[in-house]
Amino acid sequence: MISFPVRAPRRRRMDRVRWWHYLLLSLACVACLFPLYWMFIVATTDTATATQMPPEIAPGGNFFHLAGLVLATVPFLQAILNSLIVATTIGAGQALLCALAGFAFAKLRFPGRNTLFLIVVLTMTVPTQLAIIPQYLIISELGWVDTLQALIVPGLASAFGIFWMRQHIAMTIGDELMQAARIDGASTWQIFWRIAFPIVRPAAFVLGLFGFVTAWNDFLWPFIVLKSPERYTAQIAIKALQNNFAIDLGLAMSGSFLATIPLLILFFFVGKRMVAGILDGAFKG
Amino acid sequence: MRTVTTARASTPPTAPTRERARRHIAGGPVERLTPYAYTAPFFLIFAVFGLFPLLFTFYVALFDWNPIGERTFIGTDNFARMLEDPRFWNATTNTVSIWLLSTVPQLAVALLLAHLLNHARLRFATFFRMSLLVPYITSVAATAIVFAQLFDRDFGLLNWLLGLVGVEPFDFVQSTWGSHVLIATMVAWRWFGYTTLLYLASLRAIPRAIYEASAIDGAGTWQQFRHITIPALRPVIIFTVVTSTIGGLQIFTEPLLISPSAPLTCGPIRQCQTLTLFLYEQGFGQFQFGYGAAIGVALFMIIIVIASINYLLSARIHGAHR
Amino acid sequence: METAQALTTALAGGKVPDLVLIQGDDLPKFVQQPQNFHDLRGFGAEGIKSDYLDWVISQSTTRNGEILGIPTDVGGMAVAYRTDLFAAAGLPTDREAVGQLWPTWDAFIETGTRYTAATGKAFVDNAATSVFYQAVNQGSQKYYDEAGNLVYDRNPQVKQAFDLALKTIRAGVTAKQSSFSTGWSAAMGQGQFAVLAAPSWMLNAIRMNAPDTNGKWDIATIPGGRGNWGGSYLAIPKRANNPQAAWNYIAETQSPTGQLEHFLVEGSLPTTPSVYQDPRLTSRQEPFFSNAPVGKIYTSSLLGLTPFYIGPDSSAIGQEFLNALTNVEQGAGDPDDAWEAALRNIKTAIGK
Repeated sequence: MISFPVRAPRRRRMDRVRWWHYLLLSLACVACLFPLYWMFIVATTDTATATQMPPEIAPGGNFFHLAGLVLATVPFLQAILNSLIVATTIGAGQALLCALAGFAFAKLRFPGRNTLFLIVVLTMTVPTQLAIIPQYLIISELGWVDTLQALIVPGLASAFGIFWMRQHIAMTIGDELMQAARIDGASTWQIFWRIAFPIVRPAAFVLGLFGFVTAWNDFLWPFIVLKSPERYTAQIAIKALQNNFAIDLGLAMSGSFLATIPLLILFFFVGKRMVAGILDGAFKG
Repeated sequence: MRTVTTARASTPPTAPTRERARRHIAGGPVERLTPYAYTAPFFLIFAVFGLFPLLFTFYVALFDWNPIGERTFIGTDNFARMLEDPRFWNATTNTVSIWLLSTVPQLAVALLLAHLLNHARLRFATFFRMSLLVPYITSVAATAIVFAQLFDRDFGLLNWLLGLVGVEPFDFVQSTWGSHVLIATMVAWRWFGYTTLLYLASLRAIPRAIYEASAIDGAGTWQQFRHITIPALRPVIIFTVVTSTIGGLQIFTEPLLISPSAPLTCGPIRQCQTLTLFLYEQGFGQFQFGYGAAIGVALFMIIIVIASINYLLSARIHGAHR
Repeated sequence: METAQALTTALAGGKVPDLVLIQGDDLPKFVQQPQNFHDLRGFGAEGIKSDYLDWVISQSTTRNGEILGIPTDVGGMAVAYRTDLFAAAGLPTDREAVGQLWPTWDAFIETGTRYTAATGKAFVDNAATSVFYQAVNQGSQKYYDEAGNLVYDRNPQVKQAFDLALKTIRAGVTAKQSSFSTGWSAAMGQGQFAVLAAPSWMLNAIRMNAPDTNGKWDIATIPGGRGNWGGSYLAIPKRANNPQAAWNYIAETQSPTGQLEHFLVEGSLPTTPSVYQDPRLTSRQEPFFSNAPVGKIYTSSLLGLTPFYIGPDSSAIGQEFLNALTNVEQGAGDPDDAWEAALRNIKTAIGK
């Protein structure tokens, strides 16, 4: 990495921002937001309006009617709840477990530390989605088919999360801190829980947020593992709406929109943190 | 832009106290085990749900394994059949094509946008950045339904717009090319904002003075880009190339959902069936776990090979050096 | 479709419910693995077997005579058509007259040509499903012969149905919408085609997709006069917790009276011929479809159906034929090569 002796306070470019910069960025924003907006339009009108040409671009008033239909077709609220349970557990679990492991790799000395960490990094390159058949067989051996724990437990292992937390802990917790705590007689757990974790809590929180979002949007694994409609997560519930003989776009979009709302709410409150989380974690080698 | 916080110890430890501290760190037997205890959950879970299934896939692939019936050992027959199966090669070309179409433009656009966002005086910066992350948090299933509708032959917004300039309606879902473009668009849409932010993070770490110094030396924008920006971004570029390779070659949900009348094959001529979808179709649709596992093994090989190639290619970007 | 996979994964090693509903298309694969289900003769199925259409219950019976499923309903077959669009094209609208327009499939295609010439719009939704899929079900033999040998490539009835679909495509009278796709639903709502093959359960789909066309539809007999699409069966998995309770439920709800009740409420066609003459069934009308007597129409379509053997690969074979036709209709498929292409794909898919 380029090293520079003096702190440069403003590292970004200072030249004037051109109008076409704004144009391109605005185009990117429109591209990002338009599909969501369109989903909202169809979710508030109906299939007929959605398929008329020229297309309708203003939302209608049909939201509650369609939402009601969705709730009547699949146990959607239950699905949202299931997604919440799974995603929250995974998010919180990842935050804690990755902080623990990251702490161990960053601040504790033990034999095999470097090798084990290398293994962790290597596991990030292993594509595990293609092993769904044996994964399913294992889950059924455990008797976990059609349960939420089948979704939660495998999701708790995040090599990237460990990598991320290790970075943060290494950079924010000095060795002197550790030594001072040892001298004061603290056990490793106490050091972690009372000193280290509070310091890196923001980073762990951001990690948990990303874990939450990834778990919320996971499709393939819940699709295979879950059977009964009461266990569906939000994503599978959307797919179930598509199963009717008549594909009612209004219904499908309404379901899609309902499944996205919790994330949008979350994003409204903590989106800035998520963005900051990415921006702060600049990559080193 | 990392915040460095250090709590100060009340007194700097003297030499004998440091000695005691070191002994403390060595600790008793329980203390010695704590690092392993802290890292064990990950290894345990990964071993059970990540590594073992992968190894077991190789095993299952050697069988004719009906999930609700018999299983008989047939050695490498599944692989022989697979290599001669035109559907396998079709799925492979589909997968690679979709991956290329989704990854290359995505990374390029992300680089450009990161560059644009890297302005101190940019207004609405927070709004732009947050908007970029919206696709990432949108449900995958919902995205597939929305985009399939927007790209519909007769009733889709895109074809309507094309019609305004006199272009005949194009059946994206039914054509090979078109369906690849459709899926690639979805995948790129989902990830380009996240990638942009990743690049932006690294860009912000480049001191401005470097650019100024090079400008004084007469470097133009393009040269600055080539000799400063890209090398500085090397680690994150490597990261995004490798992760998008691994992820992009395993696409499943989007092909499954854009063709509701033939979901498992993604269309009548399997025009957009990816390897993962083919795996699922054979394993869970045709009741052939063994054959599905063989496809999984093939996919694994393909990913390893392509990811390695990509890693080597992107690692050749000359690292920044002083 | 998804329910079959869900059932497979459940049977492969998960919790199984006490009762499962299996669609007719998926049934053969499960009947091939009878060890997964209870032989219902153990609960008394032999006694009630004769209540059901013999060709329906034979599909859920294994070669050894084990009865694995009790049929719940069938689809029957007819053609649903838009009376207003027919009128605008100068065609008759009375259902008897319309039925006489197309005693054969060739006459059907001719009517289509007339319609399209008069209105410039598509006549039928697609050729693959509405023509091939229905025509191929009308023969005495489909993809297997009675002994269980594969004859899909040699059976002239199959080729004939296939060629009929190609002829329909070449006549340019289809809307090129795959059944159950979003485009198909939208096109139905906007009147972009005037007829489609409609088993009894399709009526619900029409109602949902085109709510504004209430009263503008009617139902006529299908070319060939007979047919069936769809149907389900109830089965009890071997590892069910409460098989007796499951059986009691089946015996009660799927008795002839039970199925008749279900018909009156849901519209699903009974598989128990003894109730076909029941006045409540024969007098049943659908206002959405110009008061068509759906009970009578659909049960008539069932009589005269010759049972043919459905084997474990029938579904895969049928799907490949459909794919080949859809490819010609909507993609870049070459009609002259379509039959060969279908045969090639079938060989790859089932290995035989």
